[in-house]
Amino acid sequence: MEELTKVWTWSLDVAGFHLVFNATTIVMTLTIMGLLIAFGWFATRQTGLVPNPFQVVAELFVETFWNLTKDALDEDMAKTYFPLICSLFMFLLLCNWIGIFPYMEEPTKDLNTTLGLGLMGFFIAHYAGIKTKGFAAYAKEYFQPVFFMMPLNVIGELAKVISISFRLYGNIMGGSIIILVVSHLVYGLLIPPFLYAFFGLFVGTVQAFVFTMLTLVYISVQVK
Amino acid sequence: MAFDHVTWIKAASYLGSGLAVGFGAIGAALGEGYTAGKANQVLAYRPRMSGDILKTMLVGQAVAESAAIFALVISMLLVFGGLGGPTPLSAWAYLGAGLAAGLSAVGSGVGSGFPAAAACEGIGRQPKASGQVTLIMLIGSAITQTPCIFGLVIAFLLMFVDFSAKPYYPYWAALLGAGLSTGLAAIGPGAGGGLVGASACKSVARHPEAQRPVTTAMLVGIGTTQSTAIYGFLISLILLFKSFPASTSYVPSFALLGAGFAMGFGGIGPGIGEGITGGYALDQVGRIPEKATLLTRTMLVGQAVSESTGIYSLVVALLLVLNA
Repeated sequence: MEELTKVWTWSLDVAGFHLVFNATTIVMTLTIMGLLIAFGWFATRQTGLVPNPFQVVAELFVETFWNLTKDALDEDMAKTYFPLICSLFMFLLLCNWIGIFPYMEEPTKDLNTTLGLGLMGFFIAHYAGIKTKGFAAYAKEYFQPVFFMMPLNVIGELAKVISISFRLYGNIMGGSIIILVVSHLVYGLLIPPFLYAFFGLFVGTVQAFVFTMLTLVYISVQVK
Repeated sequence: MAFDHVTWIKAASYLGSGLAVGFGAIGAALGEGYTAGKANQVLAYRPRMSGDILKTMLVGQAVAESAAIFALVISMLLVFGGLGGPTPLSAWAYLGAGLAAGLSAVGSGVGSGFPAAAACEGIGRQPKASGQVTLIMLIGSAITQTPCIFGLVIAFLLMFVDFSAKPYYPYWAALLGAGLSTGLAAIGPGAGGGLVGASACKSVARHPEAQRPVTTAMLVGIGTTQSTAIYGFLISLILLFKSFPASTSYVPSFALLGAGFAMGFGGIGPGIGEGITGGYALDQVGRIPEKATLLTRTMLVGQAVSESTGIYSLVVALLLVLNA
């Protein structure tokens, strides 16, 4: 069962630093970006009252997430953050689903992807908070309810990044480990397709949605 | 009697197997019993709905049962899997695997019973909404199983990753601590997630048209409830894959074991507490769907405060691991 901990990497020595790149993650992330750009191109190529199939799917995403963003933030602020929220969901959904195809691996199985996205959401939420409330009011919140709670409030904020990124990483990585071990135990017979359906499609969809919604709610907690 | 390492490994895998299925059987049985009780209560005043309610009860119980089945799988593998190992370290790995799988099934088993019971009650009250209620029950109880799945993953990693090249001290404690951390920390979030899911089922039964805001709030609520299970999982992964220097003293070993206990026990309370917060919030989301955003935001802030004790445990566990 060596596959459990095997990672393909590229190593590079630049100016005395030893850099290691996770080759699978980079290639798969670029593939998904390409697929999403192609999807966007097909969806907007010939828009019309009678939509093509891609347009229908794109409209479904846009409408659902526009309503969710508008409910969580105000209408004009929703215009700023809606593209982020909608594309984050589409990216994560494709990331989590791509594992069901042979020889494809989920980029979200790598902690670097999820931690990167978690940090992105963290910085955007805090930037939004500082922008709407001003720095003084933003900083004052860390000294609530009493001033010496400040270190704990900071740790609490940082723990949000850990929990949001490890939730996605743990679910996707855990699913793939279970699929790998169970497939090995049953010699690939009968059970793996159901596991792919549950961990790839169902858990993948739910976790992509939860990640997106938590990013949105973190922004909305900061600006209100 | 010869006590070579083969004997020890066999003994540990039998002990781990017993612990896995022993602990694993606690939660699911409680959850299923609660579901069946509620179903009976509803049937008493809705005898004509018996088919629908019986079906919902059985589906809900099957989901709750899966927590115990995960533990059973690990238990069977420990006994009949033909596992062995070149060093006595495997003994601790198998003991840890049994504890991870068994303890983590307790919370999720109890928790998955709550949405099923609420769904039976809801269908009895609002027979027309039975499809929507069943759907949200299935989503809610499936997501409630996540802490249990973390336990299963750690158990698989402990059983199938080769640790034999590592030094015995302090790795025996790291492997046992990894099992305890995920296993114990999954108890609270599993049960708490079920409380949120139960309120969601109740809300959808009361206002079927509020299905979408309730589903969104439920997923966010269960997601945050599981934070401490995720911290436990994180500590387990660090214990499994960080390299610790070989040592001749017992002190680093006990630091690692302590880290597992710290995060494990520390995760129980916040999980249940956040679940109670989420449950009340979801109740109100069903009553006043147009206030869903405000309620979700307040729920999240409240859950973050109730989680702070879990974060103390995380900080202490990380300090212990880094100082070992």
